[in-house]
Amino acid sequence: MTLSINGERKTFKGDTLTIQELLEKMAYGKGIAVALNETFVMKTKYSETKIKDGDRIDILSPVQGG
Amino acid sequence: MKSNDLWELEEKEFDSRLMIGSALYPSPKIMEEAIRASGAKIVTVALRRQAAGEGESNPFWELIKELNITVLPNTAGCHTAKEAITTAMMAREVFETNWIKLEVIGNQYNLQPDPFALVEATEVLIKEGFRVLPYMTDDLVLAQRLADLGCTTLMPWGSPIGSGRGLMNPYNLKTIRKQFPNLNLIVDAGIGKPSDAIEAMELGFDGILLNSAVALAQEPVMMAEAFKYALQSGRLSYLAGRMQKRDMASPSTPTVGTPFWHQFE
Repeated sequence: MTLSINGERKTFKGDTLTIQELLEKMAYGKGIAVALNETFVMKTKYSETKIKDGDRIDILSPVQGG
Repeated sequence: MKSNDLWELEEKEFDSRLMIGSALYPSPKIMEEAIRASGAKIVTVALRRQAAGEGESNPFWELIKELNITVLPNTAGCHTAKEAITTAMMAREVFETNWIKLEVIGNQYNLQPDPFALVEATEVLIKEGFRVLPYMTDDLVLAQRLADLGCTTLMPWGSPIGSGRGLMNPYNLKTIRKQFPNLNLIVDAGIGKPSDAIEAMELGFDGILLNSAVALAQEPVMMAEAFKYALQSGRLSYLAGRMQKRDMASPSTPTVGTPFWHQFE
């Protein structure tokens, strides 16, 4: 399946993936927050939230701000 | 400084009325030194996309945590209420705070806040348990709408973000102050130099949020200290109450006993 991750197209084997599995595959650590199709997903829901082909995922972390 | 002049903001107490941004400094070290020199106890931060594979290392965030001051995340860069709401929720989880500097941009040229989207997002976020500190234009009716929704802090702009133009419309700021004596009012954006901050504090504003004025100064750490004193000076000046203006001169030195006075001429 093809996903948009932080605005970039990425292809993964298989039809389903949870957010938890995706973050592990991509070696993301702690201190991040995730949105699936522009909707926030709580950390506690990563392992039960399934991603499907065409989904857009944003993975954010702290940066400088004014 | 009056020792009992602590600032109560969103049910927390602070000994500084300055809120400072963490962006645009020449280096992380200068950022850290400037924030410390400013005396600010609140620092603004943001969220952006993180590339894969960076693991758990985030030197910026580690540095901010070491400062051990209150963190105020923003929703900078959001152009719709939905984007701002999602960003606020993500910020609450990452930064472990329900405070949010709500920013929804309505115009790309002057980065003017969108008043309609601001009201829409504020309504949702307050219901979700956030303490919303909205970055807004200096519009009295907008201030009323946000206060009606439950905001206890409002942050009207002095002038556009990063412009350093100071207070474009002191009359509007003064009017908001008069109409909302019990809200915390902060001038956010547009402050270019310490005297701009003093002017805002003398209008009776409760605090100042700034970033570029310090980060882009020739000597950011020195300028941060200048702002520390400006905030104290402006606050004291407001509390002390200025003298009445007069149309005519009035001598300050006693006139009785003036020498060489030709009183019989």
